[in-house]
Amino acid sequence: MSLLERIEKLEEAKAWPGSIPITSRYTVGIAGERFFREIKDNARFLGTRCPNCDITYVPPRLYCERCFAKLDDWVEVEPTGTVRTYTVLHLALDGSPLDEPEILAFIVLDGSDGGLVHRLGEVDPDEVEIGMRVEAVFKPEAERKGSILDIGYFRPL
Amino acid sequence: MTASIKEFPGMALSRKDFEEGRVLFTTWDPNARYAWEAGVAIGRYLAELKNGRLIGRKCRKCRRIMVPPRMFCEHCFRPTDEWVYLEDTGTVISYSLCYVTWDVKRVKEPIIPAIIEIDGASKGMGIMHLLDEVEPDEVKIGMRVKALWKSPEEREGAITDIRYFKPL
Repeated sequence: MSLLERIEKLEEAKAWPGSIPITSRYTVGIAGERFFREIKDNARFLGTRCPNCDITYVPPRLYCERCFAKLDDWVEVEPTGTVRTYTVLHLALDGSPLDEPEILAFIVLDGSDGGLVHRLGEVDPDEVEIGMRVEAVFKPEAERKGSILDIGYFRPL
Repeated sequence: MTASIKEFPGMALSRKDFEEGRVLFTTWDPNARYAWEAGVAIGRYLAELKNGRLIGRKCRKCRRIMVPPRMFCEHCFRPTDEWVYLEDTGTVISYSLCYVTWDVKRVKEPIIPAIIEIDGASKGMGIMHLLDEVEPDEVKIGMRVKALWKSPEEREGAITDIRYFKPL
């Protein structure tokens, strides 16, 4: 008895399920604001350059991660790039199977040292290759909201 | 230390900035579901509520009968020893008249939470529950009350298997 008393049958174990309602709000920040506004208004990518380190940051950073210098040299970056790595998804976020597999890739944008994680479209999963040349397909201006989803996907060049 | 800093770097944002779309942002609802494990003592307590009775736990050293039951005596620093069935009657030892619900909505008729010393348990040992079938100004400390249970089919092994306590 006493402390040695244990629950031996699983159905005796009793737990109270509950849930905590939380909503979080993430602001894109000063550099992010400029980056996403430019996508929304002009369908262009911007980056920031550190002349010291000879690095162009995409997404743009306000400070250089290597030399801590403040960055105010904003440059336009090409909407084209190269697939650095990719994966093919067959399951949705909740674990349910997807009708069509989705391809997610990290794309290094031309003229920058950074890149974006985004979907690949207009391409068969079997045909995707590391090093493949792709370009961004922006949504029509009326549908753009200043989010990363203003880019529909990247497609092969 | 922060008192000496007159101006903080960055941008202060107001509610309006969000409402009027002056800043870009995303919202996200994390899935914060949890399960609280009742443990041996409370697990049995809840199981017995489903059976329509109250159960306590006795420490043979200090001879206290404790409700809600616990597997360890906090007075004697030793495991408790045996299960003891208790009455579903008791005495009000403290109460309150609440004109707001738990989620802060105003109510005309007060809700009466009370601490009820359970018959069969040691002095001062009781549980918190609601009083009903009594006028708010007739509630007294020392009043004798009895549990009103849900029907066996409705009971689910929760403290709400007792609807409320009413005067004896």
